[in-house]
Amino acid sequence: MIRLDPITRDRLTRFQGIRRGWWSALILMALIAFTLVAELFVNSRALIVHYDGEWYFPTYGAVIPGTTFGEEYAYETNYKLLQKRFADEGSGNWVLMPPVPFDPYEINSYAGEFPPHAPNFDRGHYLGTDIAGRDVTARLVYGFRIAIWFSIALLASTYVIGIILGCLMGYRGGWFDLIVQRLIEVWSNVPFLYIIMIVASIVTPDFGMLVFLMVIFGWMGMTWYMRTATYKEVSRDYVMAAKALGASDWRIITTHILPNTVSVIVTFIPFSVAGGITALTALDYLGFGLPPPTPSWGELLKQGTDRLDAAWIVTSVVTGLVLVLVMVTFVGEAIREAFDPRRLTRYE
Amino acid sequence: MNKQTTLSLLGIGLLSIGLVGCSDSETEISASFDPVNMTSADQANWSPEKARLRKDALTPYPALGLEALPADLEWTTHPGTPYLGSSEAISGGTFYTNTTVYPLTLRTVGPDSNNSFRSYLGANQWSLTTLHPNTETPIPQLAREWAVSADQTTLYYRLNPDVRWSDGIPVTADDYLFTLEFMRSEEILAPWYNNYFTEQIVDIRKYDDHTIAVVGNVAKPEVDLHTSLSIGPKPRHFHVLDADWIQNANWAIEPNTGPYQIDQRSIVEGKGDYVSFTRKQDWWGDDDPMYQGRFNVDRVRIKVIRDPNLAFKSFLKGDLDTYPLVLPSFWHEQATGEQFDRGYIEKLVVYNDTRQPSTGMWMNQAVSPLDEQPVRLGIQHALNYDKMIATVLRNDYVRLPQHYTGYGEYSNPDISPRPFDLDQAASYFREAGFTERGPDGILVRDGQRLAFNVTYSQAIHTPRLVVLKEEAKKAGLELNLQLLDGQNAFKNVIEKQHQIAWMGWSTGFRPAYWEHYHSANADQPQTNNITNMKRADLDAKIEAYRSATTAETRIALSHEIQAILHDEAVFAPAYMVPYFRGAHWRWIRLPEAAGSKDGGGIYDPFTAASGGLFWIDPERAQETRDAQDAGRSFEPVLEIDERFKP
Repeated sequence: MIRLDPITRDRLTRFQGIRRGWWSALILMALIAFTLVAELFVNSRALIVHYDGEWYFPTYGAVIPGTTFGEEYAYETNYKLLQKRFADEGSGNWVLMPPVPFDPYEINSYAGEFPPHAPNFDRGHYLGTDIAGRDVTARLVYGFRIAIWFSIALLASTYVIGIILGCLMGYRGGWFDLIVQRLIEVWSNVPFLYIIMIVASIVTPDFGMLVFLMVIFGWMGMTWYMRTATYKEVSRDYVMAAKALGASDWRIITTHILPNTVSVIVTFIPFSVAGGITALTALDYLGFGLPPPTPSWGELLKQGTDRLDAAWIVTSVVTGLVLVLVMVTFVGEAIREAFDPRRLTRYE
Repeated sequence: MNKQTTLSLLGIGLLSIGLVGCSDSETEISASFDPVNMTSADQANWSPEKARLRKDALTPYPALGLEALPADLEWTTHPGTPYLGSSEAISGGTFYTNTTVYPLTLRTVGPDSNNSFRSYLGANQWSLTTLHPNTETPIPQLAREWAVSADQTTLYYRLNPDVRWSDGIPVTADDYLFTLEFMRSEEILAPWYNNYFTEQIVDIRKYDDHTIAVVGNVAKPEVDLHTSLSIGPKPRHFHVLDADWIQNANWAIEPNTGPYQIDQRSIVEGKGDYVSFTRKQDWWGDDDPMYQGRFNVDRVRIKVIRDPNLAFKSFLKGDLDTYPLVLPSFWHEQATGEQFDRGYIEKLVVYNDTRQPSTGMWMNQAVSPLDEQPVRLGIQHALNYDKMIATVLRNDYVRLPQHYTGYGEYSNPDISPRPFDLDQAASYFREAGFTERGPDGILVRDGQRLAFNVTYSQAIHTPRLVVLKEEAKKAGLELNLQLLDGQNAFKNVIEKQHQIAWMGWSTGFRPAYWEHYHSANADQPQTNNITNMKRADLDAKIEAYRSATTAETRIALSHEIQAILHDEAVFAPAYMVPYFRGAHWRWIRLPEAAGSKDGGGIYDPFTAASGGLFWIDPERAQETRDAQDAGRSFEPVLEIDERFKP
């Protein structure tokens, strides 16, 4: 059990007291956790297949060819058809499908109809399909998974760089601070959206590369705040005291300064998450993001705005985006409120 | 490089709605659009009196004399194919259409002249002969008769003495001789024309004022001679070839020979928003039976509307008379509603049987294992084009059999598209050694996965390719989609850096084998042999095809070459769009047989071969407007012309 110091406990209680922020945080956490096991809920692979006395769990792991279940084809089993076949045969074999039995890449076609297909509960397309016949629910869920983890990866990397450099600038000061400041100013003026567009038009960026590119041009923001916060802390008496006691620079930074600047970091996190999601969505919308057919909100948004007649596409993705961004903002607002240093200040 | 060999990456959608326009910024247009300057200096150039004075001052070119003509020439003329115009046509009215960019210049040669507006200008600069759109046999235009030289390199023409420039001055042999001088001139800054009129057209000779010869560089069958040698004249009395030519000609209205000429006033009054053409009142072709019932409207106003969606909205309002609707999304989703249901706007589908752009997957044999024929054959059977057409393309497109489809007798009729067939794909892949499937279901041979990058450049093709990708998985083939922007995709392909390229080549008049499949162009960048095809027996046939002088030999060789190419399976052909479709307000009338085999002409106001067929019916226009006001309806119309359905 982690022992929280009184101030943190106080902040947490206050955070819990702000209802909409707290609930948003819980829902978001649940959603993020859900994305880790999304395959169990939204997938074209069955959860369980019981065939001739054997049990199969196809969700994770290698492709199971159709021949395994007595089908004629060697490619991956179509579990939806298998389920129907088993039900027709009535031989005691059965298939258990996830609640949304589609994966985000699968192209569904229905005789006599052209995609996009409107929402249809009998077929399991709760939000309809996109213009290639792929299930919108599945695209939304996996698109969210990519967006949120992209955002988290981006946040982690930019914060690590920003915090280290910012702390060093504030702690060291002098020439080091001056030079790095100028470097950051120059670097900040590189039009990073254009660079990403140029790079994306020459090579097709994958997930890692896109994060890398965004980090390269996005780490600067955090350094300013960390630099100021560190400057402020360094001049405090307790740092002097630690120095006088002979503590190393590393120890002073990690055990004294960082914990005291954590409120700065934490208040920025939700807004960085929102920023990450919108950045990826915007890039995908413009066609400079992850390569097709990767499920993506930006790509869905593009499809939706191109095909306003198929209103279910644009409605789904806009609702999803708005909900997530609103929740993130609520969280951010609540954290800011809870961490507001003025409420804790004992001297003035 | 020959124009026909000019490589263009094309999207079928773009091609079919004819919007391969240049995107220009507003500033560029205003910088070069200078009506004030034009009205002073250039209008002076254009006055008929001045032109006549200059014409008188020019010394005629020396003639060789009629006795210098070879004695054994056999003169041919109109082959008796039926005329296209309708006897019911009514003349008069203004036809409203649109283009995407305002022209940067009114020149048809030189810098900035190769824009989409040029086709309107070019269509009124007629040539000596043209090909009949249905039979592809030569028909007269500015020449009355022609004869082929014994060595099949030269065409002799007897000019139609009635032909006059738009300023009333007759067109004579001197204008053709001047054309050679003009096109070879360095002042026009047009290297392509400089080259063509030097390398391809070796000489132009005058025998008398109305008899000339155009000499080509190589022997060709007669029809091919017409396509390369039947040039259009340039007005000798109008041009002064000096260092200022580019500048002076920018906004000058060059005299032409076609039925319409740009309206000088529209350049000034249109202010960059539109350009008008007016029908010549006393055109030399008015009495010719070939042009009866054609070029009916008095004025053609071409509005500049950049965005196709906006242009379509203008059409729905009645500000434009016609609109092409080849793209499925336009045809099915947008061309619906009251105006269509009430019959104010009529829809039209006209099939054609012409050269088809070759869209599909181009496999680079420099990449292992695409150098193995069984792998390529396996891929051919693993591509589910039928499903792609049936889903995202709404069954509007048709499978393309091969690279050279629609070239008439030059296309081998025995080649049909390969079906999506997992058994055949599996057996070919097995033959190549791909027998095991990896944990992801993709075939593997000694650790080598059967996976390829597919390079393409148009985001609107993504849904189409996604279908292929998902279906190919069933065959154990992985296609990784690599969307690059146009220039980079093109560079990637032309430098042979691709694995599989998804693209289409535009068409030429005849199949071009040498540039696409001869080993001379393999394994080196910047050539069109993007499959890196090199096969000695194919080379021999291609060379024989190039040097053959009779159509029969060429056709036979063409069939053999296509059979080899089909067998090699380096190109997996996807689809074609063998029709034109569009919509027009009901006052636009067309002859019963408006469609032609070559697919051109339907809403085209000018072109000599098949343009200007429609007319505007003022009674129906009034009737339609009254009905709109009163809320009355007509029977909705969808006309389908299947005469040339392949």
